[in-house]
Amino acid sequence: MMRAAKQLLSDRVRPFTIMFGAIFVLALIDRGTGYFFSIGTIFSVMQLFATVGLVALGLGLSMLVREFDLSVSGAVGLAGCIAVTTGAGNPWLGVLLGVSAGTVSGVLQGLIMTRLRLSSVGVTLGGLLTLQGITYVLTGNQTISYPNMAVALGLNAPIAHLLSVRSAAALAIFVIATLIMTYTHIGRDVIATGSDRRASRVAGLDTDRIIIGVFAASGASAALAGVLLSYSLGAASPVALADVLAPAAAAAIVGGVSVVGGRGSPMGIAAGVLTLCILRSGLSAIGVAPYVHDLVTGAILLVIAILDAPELAQRVVAWRLDRAERKQNAVAM
Amino acid sequence: MSEIAIRFFRLPAGGAAVARHLALGIRLAAAAAITAFALTTPGFLSPLSFNALLNAISFVGCVAVGMTFITLTGNIMSLCLGATVSASALIFLSSLAFGVAAAFALALAFAIAFTAAQGFLIGYFRANPILVSIAGLSLLLGGAAFATGGQRVYPGGEGLQMFKGRIAGIPVEALYFFATVILGQSILTWTRIGRLMVMVGSNIRAATAAGIDTTAIVTMAYVIAGSCAAISGILLAARYGSGDMELGAGYDYTAIAAVLVGGTGIQGGSGSTLRTLVGVTVIAVIEVVLLLRGFSEQLQYLITGLIVLAVIMLHTISGRR
Repeated sequence: MMRAAKQLLSDRVRPFTIMFGAIFVLALIDRGTGYFFSIGTIFSVMQLFATVGLVALGLGLSMLVREFDLSVSGAVGLAGCIAVTTGAGNPWLGVLLGVSAGTVSGVLQGLIMTRLRLSSVGVTLGGLLTLQGITYVLTGNQTISYPNMAVALGLNAPIAHLLSVRSAAALAIFVIATLIMTYTHIGRDVIATGSDRRASRVAGLDTDRIIIGVFAASGASAALAGVLLSYSLGAASPVALADVLAPAAAAAIVGGVSVVGGRGSPMGIAAGVLTLCILRSGLSAIGVAPYVHDLVTGAILLVIAILDAPELAQRVVAWRLDRAERKQNAVAM
Repeated sequence: MSEIAIRFFRLPAGGAAVARHLALGIRLAAAAAITAFALTTPGFLSPLSFNALLNAISFVGCVAVGMTFITLTGNIMSLCLGATVSASALIFLSSLAFGVAAAFALALAFAIAFTAAQGFLIGYFRANPILVSIAGLSLLLGGAAFATGGQRVYPGGEGLQMFKGRIAGIPVEALYFFATVILGQSILTWTRIGRLMVMVGSNIRAATAAGIDTTAIVTMAYVIAGSCAAISGILLAARYGSGDMELGAGYDYTAIAAVLVGGTGIQGGSGSTLRTLVGVTVIAVIEVVLLLRGFSEQLQYLITGLIVLAVIMLHTISGRR
């Protein structure tokens, strides 16, 4: 029993345990009224997944190598604005330019970090402010509408009632990321870099290149999220998307990405994102006020923060010893 | 800049020693350039722009002073201070019915309790500070939406005058901010707990081995951060006369930018609130000068972002000897 519980909470399985736990609890509350288990709920979960998922994937990748890419929300905004301004005639051009911008910003920040040996928080904070600045300049500090409504409608049109083109694209990226991380040496190199960078370097791994590559991927992934979202909203504005970082970080962490690096996988991140999306859509489907979602997310994050804390085991052992000692003293008396 | 060039383009290392000495020169030159740029800007020395400057630094400045303590004790940053600012503003406004003193105390007590709880988890379990702060952010947003129903909050009584207007020509907000800076610096320089914060930030293992109660020290740093956020929130509430959760949104990023521009190290163990004062002022001066020189708002954002990036790069390099 204990072993089974331990297995369910182990690094790899925990994200899925939490996800099915969330579904189970919501189903219990719903109790067959059919509001939660409906095709509409699944569709809206996947729509949310498309927005947060790719940002969480990018941020999660950077956390895998023990860095933290604060600039993802900047890449989302910039890529969205670039796509909307350049993609009116040919939407693919907008996708290409938007994602390139995200990739270039990732590569530049990666270069600055690795060549100058700087911490990612400082560099990506500067990167975030700069990307936001570029976005403001490009848009002239205004909301830009996207004239090509056919694209917006097409992206959100349901496929088999469950997915839209947008969420299918996000899922496809997750599948590709999983394949790369599982079956190529790049995946192993990323994990090695995150687990112990010095040892990896001594073993002959060009960790700088891995870091730059990870930040390029992170920028590209966040940029794609921005492009898809702006297209489907039919508009882009420099301010609207600023608050995407916290949910993305939350999703990556619920998805089993450890902040100490080297632990986590794209599938786990997907499960983490789905958990948060299921909570949001599910809670609103069964008629709970929106703030409950924030409270539940906060509570889950807090529990994970404590479970993942390096000193937790020591503290628990100390408590037990303390109690045992007190018991012994009581017997002796 | 030359050391940046040497490392970035991987030039031969011979020039590196020279470059290190140049770093100080570059900082002085940069400071001189900003000063010259500011002084030659028409209208910069007017009382009007001076007021704009003081206004720009006061609210976010208090948060930045609080953030300094979090960064200094080795906990990088908090993503939840902005929301704490908003929440304390809401509590202050809604409890004004019980009198100003009670409202002030309630807002302060709430912010302290909320951040102290985070500080305890971070100090006791060594939980990840960014993760804990995101959890705090979620809880605050949810709690506030529950309490206010998403509505704006208006003052429940009189007494906002105390926190706005001017004394001897100086805006009250600025006086509170300067007091925060001085108080913070006094704690860091002259008290035992302040010195211990620096020690915990520079090497928490060594501090633990030396028998220091690191949990208490980290919690204390968060208590100070919370108080600073509450003061900022109360000042903002008084300034705008009403509040919602958007009031302090984004302050986390501006505050940490000011902390880093001031030269407090992101790795912890080195820094001061005076440096943060410099950081806040530099960013504000650049913004005011760009405004006076007629740059559009969007260009101001971009140039400020680039300068922050450059300064952070410069500091981290010259700080590592």
